[in-house]
Amino acid sequence: MAKSKLLNKYKPKYYICYALVIVMLGVAMALQSMGKLPTSMANLFVQIAYSIILAVSLNLVVGFLGELSLGHAGFMCIGAYLGSFLAIQLSEKIESKLIVLIISMIFGGAVAALFGFIVGLPALRLKGDYLAIVTLAFGEIVRTVCKNLPAFGGAMGLTTRQIKYDTRKDTSLYIVAFITALVVLFLIQNLIRSKHGRAITAIRDNEIAAKAMGINVTFYKLFVFVIAAFFAGMAGVIYGHYTTPILYSVFSYNYSIEILVMVVLGGMASINGSIVAATLITFINFMLQKNLSGDAAAFKNLIYAIILIGMILFNNAPIFANLKNRIAPSSIMRRAREKKAQPGDITDDSADWRVIPTKIKMDEILSTDLQPNAAFEPDKAKSRVGKKKEGGETDE
Amino acid sequence: MSILIDGLSLGAIFALIALGYTMVYGIAKMLNFAHGDIIMVGAYAIFTTLSLNGHIALAIVISVVICTVMGIVMEKLAYKPLRGASPLAVLITAIGVSYLLQSVAQIIYGSKAQSVSIGNFGTIDIGSVKISISSIITLVVGAVIMTVLTLFVSKTNTGRAMQAVSEDRGAAQLMGINVNKIITVTFAIGSALAACASIFYLMQIPSAEPTLGAMPGIKAFTASVIGGIGSIPGAMIGGILLGVVEKVCQSIPAISSYTTAVEFALLIIILLVRPIGLLGKKRREKV
Amino acid sequence: MKKFSKVLALVLCFAVVACFASCGDNSKDPTNPATPTENGTAAGTEGTNTSFDFSKEGEYSKKNDTYVIGLTGPLTGSASQYGISVQRGAQIAVDEINAAGGLNGVKFSLNMKDDKATAADASTGYDALYEEGMQVSLCSVTSGSAESFASRADEDGVFSLTPSGSSDKVINASKYAFRVCFGDPDQGTLAAEELAKNYNNIGVIYDNSDAYSQGIYEAFKAEMAKLGKSYKEQTFDAENKRDFSTQAEALKDCDVIFLPIYYTEAGLIAKACAAKGCTALLFGCDGLDGVKEQIDSTVTAKIKYITPFDVNSTDTKVKTFVDEFKAKYSDTPDQFAADAYDGVYIIFNAMKTAGVNNVKVDPAVLGDALISVVASKDFSFTGVTGTMTWDASGACSKEPVIVELN
Repeated sequence: MAKSKLLNKYKPKYYICYALVIVMLGVAMALQSMGKLPTSMANLFVQIAYSIILAVSLNLVVGFLGELSLGHAGFMCIGAYLGSFLAIQLSEKIESKLIVLIISMIFGGAVAALFGFIVGLPALRLKGDYLAIVTLAFGEIVRTVCKNLPAFGGAMGLTTRQIKYDTRKDTSLYIVAFITALVVLFLIQNLIRSKHGRAITAIRDNEIAAKAMGINVTFYKLFVFVIAAFFAGMAGVIYGHYTTPILYSVFSYNYSIEILVMVVLGGMASINGSIVAATLITFINFMLQKNLSGDAAAFKNLIYAIILIGMILFNNAPIFANLKNRIAPSSIMRRAREKKAQPGDITDDSADWRVIPTKIKMDEILSTDLQPNAAFEPDKAKSRVGKKKEGGETDE
Repeated sequence: MSILIDGLSLGAIFALIALGYTMVYGIAKMLNFAHGDIIMVGAYAIFTTLSLNGHIALAIVISVVICTVMGIVMEKLAYKPLRGASPLAVLITAIGVSYLLQSVAQIIYGSKAQSVSIGNFGTIDIGSVKISISSIITLVVGAVIMTVLTLFVSKTNTGRAMQAVSEDRGAAQLMGINVNKIITVTFAIGSALAACASIFYLMQIPSAEPTLGAMPGIKAFTASVIGGIGSIPGAMIGGILLGVVEKVCQSIPAISSYTTAVEFALLIIILLVRPIGLLGKKRREKV
Repeated sequence: MKKFSKVLALVLCFAVVACFASCGDNSKDPTNPATPTENGTAAGTEGTNTSFDFSKEGEYSKKNDTYVIGLTGPLTGSASQYGISVQRGAQIAVDEINAAGGLNGVKFSLNMKDDKATAADASTGYDALYEEGMQVSLCSVTSGSAESFASRADEDGVFSLTPSGSSDKVINASKYAFRVCFGDPDQGTLAAEELAKNYNNIGVIYDNSDAYSQGIYEAFKAEMAKLGKSYKEQTFDAENKRDFSTQAEALKDCDVIFLPIYYTEAGLIAKACAAKGCTALLFGCDGLDGVKEQIDSTVTAKIKYITPFDVNSTDTKVKTFVDEFKAKYSDTPDQFAADAYDGVYIIFNAMKTAGVNNVKVDPAVLGDALISVVASKDFSFTGVTGTMTWDASGACSKEPVIVELN
């Protein structure tokens, strides 16, 4: 029982997200030390890492604060352009690429955060889809301005060759990117589990009630936008170090929507889900690009669209709920268990009670009142095992 | 002066698209990101009929029919299964449908732009200003469609049912309104409007390509938000305002490269002043 | 329960992707006929230049049984018509070379990845190509992507000959980067001279969101300032590139309108001008090639453009290429297709001159040999886009032709 207390205090589900990232990082580093990490994979890991940062930070706005934002790529754009611009200046003075990257990441994040504050202001007044279009508009404005600034190379883009982090012989940007992702995860996890996090989710669930409870709605809304923008800006700086040139066309609303897709697929307010979905979507895009060359490339978007619609329908449509229940591992296990029993056996009544909600309550009442005997015990234990299995499988 | 006329005729196209957007949003409460791509489907339907030597009238009829059917099929296959699911899931599905339509168009017609000539009726001269007749027709038809839609929504049974569904879906269902049917009808009307928009679009911009619908779709979305989502006259006003602003911006060299930024800045300013759009209905929030 | 279904969906999805992955691999087999493999190193003595040693095998190219030419380009999205043109032009050249027996009996194969005209996708595309055994490349189609591609290729020493990445940033990104097309500044300067000489009332419409257009425009602007001529300018961008009534209205009194843009938009501008009753001559650069199919009977204005490639040319090489293209794709080739077609032949000829005799040759070894061959004074190539020579910077010099349409 001591163990379960420990588990209660340090719930494993809070640590899965770190585990996911560390496992990816570990696999990549192990491969690299064996000399079996092709550059394309190393670059894929960089993409995965900054996608994770983007998805998790957008989840803070969409999932936890409950405001729809379609302008996340705009913050990334600010980070990418300004952070890389600074990094180019710094690279002349500072030798170490890592230090340049870290300084420009903080700078890019800070400027993006400033813009996050500006976008957060209308969020105080607007709701739902009206806010969504304002964030979309903001993203488009930002990239249009970036396109027209001569310092950023105009339509030809900002060439970032001099700060390119990786060379073919030495690929280590993915390590920096994953460690950044871990830091971001750590900050966000701790934020949402703190009293501030509970305040944020309270605003999502009912703003007026939250206000009535004395929560400073203005502060928290701005706070979330600023934090999310900061992280998106950091992701942008990583992007600037990863590829050259930075073109304004990348940061269109389509990219914001792609980040939103990661959040929605992973599940609202689910950090683990966002990580899995960001990895998955980046991986799908990578595989589609890699494997559909020449004429077949026209089918890339078609396949992507079908996968997208299929996954959304499967996850959300009521008509699939029954099917999902039938093929879910827990129900398969249950059926397997039940099959073992001989048809003639008379099993414990509780087996049937489980199906009817009201009777489960009675079962519990009885069990507490009458000092649970052996007949009830296995049943409860079973259901607990089932639940744990469920959690464990999900996180893989 | 002629800039205003150009703006009005571009605005009329935005307005037509925005009408469809706002109808679907008002009743189904979903942002149909694939709406712009229905216009693309309509444009290709006209292109195909014309290239098979069909008459222009036939092309228009076929385009309207195909778009309407497409709207209904889209609603039944992609959106209906998600009734009751989170609005974001529906939004993502709409984006998926948009990608799907674009890539299917690319596979069938190739990605090269196809020139479509449906004639632009020439121009009339008023003083020194040349006004193309097609833009006048666009404006008139836009106004007629707006009036008819307003009457339809306020006077007919189906229209009133639509209003009811828009106000409170649950209550409407309790009153015996077939919500699913009403939403399907809304999609059919919205798509038919998109087909009309594609005709006028081709009159002014006579070429069709797979990504044709993306930007007008976003502009129309902006227009319908400026006018207040769900408001039919609002969509019309928003569309025309946006068209005029776009043309005026483009004609001033100093800010012409910031046209998109100015349009979206206008949207933000309007929403900051009136958070529900120009003609949107204010709803009191209940706890 | 809900979580499971998500996992399940994800697993399914991986399965689908894996499926396609394997499909992709299978379908690749028939396109790579394995016949000429018996001995890649045979008959190498034929080469004219034996000063290069091609015996070193590449890490990834050692599995090759054909010479692999890689490239990326937009095959989906709004710029995809240009990428698809390049792919088709290059494919025709590769098929011709293979039908004629390849290089000493060893065939070529083309591997093209989609980059949606973005820099990031061009670099991931490059990585994938390199690991699939690419030995020499046609770089990328659009300037931004080509710059990204070339800067990656620079590290590995892969020879990159871009058919259409005309910005100077591309050839500056790598010493291995060369181009088939004109450079943007050259065209802008040439156009300015041509227009300033013959016309007084000049207008310009350019795309300020496109590297090609901006590059030409800036050179044009500089040259016009030098010549002391004034002109009226109008712009558009990728977000507003379909309705040109304002621009046509503003420039309708001009004698000539300079269009340093691609043919899709040029066709729309021509129609918009016709609707406004503007009869100015439309003057463009090589991007305008292909505009003929974009206009209809309403357009009465004359269109002229500087191009090294003319579809209606009576030159036999051009005729064969155009006929073959029409037969295969039932479409007329444009500038992009012609440049790509020539690009493949330039690589082929340079490899022949260098005396490449090992199908598994290391890309870097091949790259070093090719740059010294192509940049040498003796090497020139005559293809469908004219006679070309190169200097060490990678810039291509060839004679422009001014084509006129009515």
